[in-house]
Amino acid sequence: MIVIIIINYNLKGKKMKKIILSTVAATTILTTSAFAHFQMLYTPNTALVKGQTIEQKHIFTHPFADEHTMDMAGVEEFYVINKEKKTDLKPTLKSITFQGHHNSGKAYESTYKARKMGDHVFVMKPTPYFEANEGAYIQQITKSIINVAGAPTNWDAELGLKAEIVPLTKPYAIWEHGSFTGIVKSNGKVVPNAEIEVEYLNRDVDMKNNKMGSSRVEAPQDAFVTMTIKANKDGEFTFSIPKAGFWGFCALGAGSDTEYKGKELSQDAVIWVEAKPMK
Amino acid sequence: MIKNILISLTIASSSLFAHTAIMSCFDNGDGTITCEGGFSDGSSASGVKFRVEQNSKAIFESKMSEDSEVTFKKPNGAYNAVFDAGEGHQVHIKGSDITE
Repeated sequence: MIVIIIINYNLKGKKMKKIILSTVAATTILTTSAFAHFQMLYTPNTALVKGQTIEQKHIFTHPFADEHTMDMAGVEEFYVINKEKKTDLKPTLKSITFQGHHNSGKAYESTYKARKMGDHVFVMKPTPYFEANEGAYIQQITKSIINVAGAPTNWDAELGLKAEIVPLTKPYAIWEHGSFTGIVKSNGKVVPNAEIEVEYLNRDVDMKNNKMGSSRVEAPQDAFVTMTIKANKDGEFTFSIPKAGFWGFCALGAGSDTEYKGKELSQDAVIWVEAKPMK
Repeated sequence: MIKNILISLTIASSSLFAHTAIMSCFDNGDGTITCEGGFSDGSSASGVKFRVEQNSKAIFESKMSEDSEVTFKKPNGAYNAVFDAGEGHQVHIKGSDITE
């Protein structure tokens, strides 16, 4: 007896449909170890008591499993917005080699004087990365928000990016066990029912030596490594945050660009949030 | 009508108390200090009183600008920058905590 099983699953940022022919007797258990790619804009503290110079690491990796660090293909745009003032930070980027748990990859670091009070909204638009396994490009337009002194200014601003997660929760002011709510948008319009991958940054980032530390938690099963959730019809989603640290949200293929250099492009929206422990 | 006014006044006063006054200062490196004021709800601090105290005496008094900022000459010795938005809404920052 032939049975047709249709499985929808995510393979590295790309929704794929696979049809498997099998016999009833063959009880095949299918597992995928394709964890989500995440562009990181990392600095250890996003809620600063007062203004200071901050260092950031820009790494394209798999934040939970850290099984492969990708070579960033370059950066198209990198800027910060504080109180409606936009500053180009692309000239501040320096190439580095970042050592992940299994391999090293091309990454960047930058420094920025976050002196003014309020929200400093960072946006990085990397050059699309060619994922050879899929024969397609991935471009993750990534936001990270650092606040100085606790005064809110522009953390919730909608920037009209091609792919964007607009936060409804301050991404830097979340207690452990709190939640994060955002809206997936593309060019200012909501993306209904967007598919969002969520990952926990499961390792300490060694800022001095440009490498990942040891892992903190073990996932009981792959569905806990990259958690996939869906936005509602208004593009809105909420995620309860079980542990302090950094959490990445990636809305897959939310962007308006679908092709790059003649190949398929997944233009994703990424935002990073930080939950603080109550101690 | 009176009932509506009373409700409005209640809402207005409760939101006032919900705010936290916030100030952040930095040394411009040119002999001046800039202080920025604000509130936890994001409202402007424009027009809020500001002073610099030395030995418990005000040596500089001003109001926050349209951009909720004040810049003043850095005093010699110990001093305090004070953002004064009224009782329960004051922020004091020691000069020694103000860096570039």
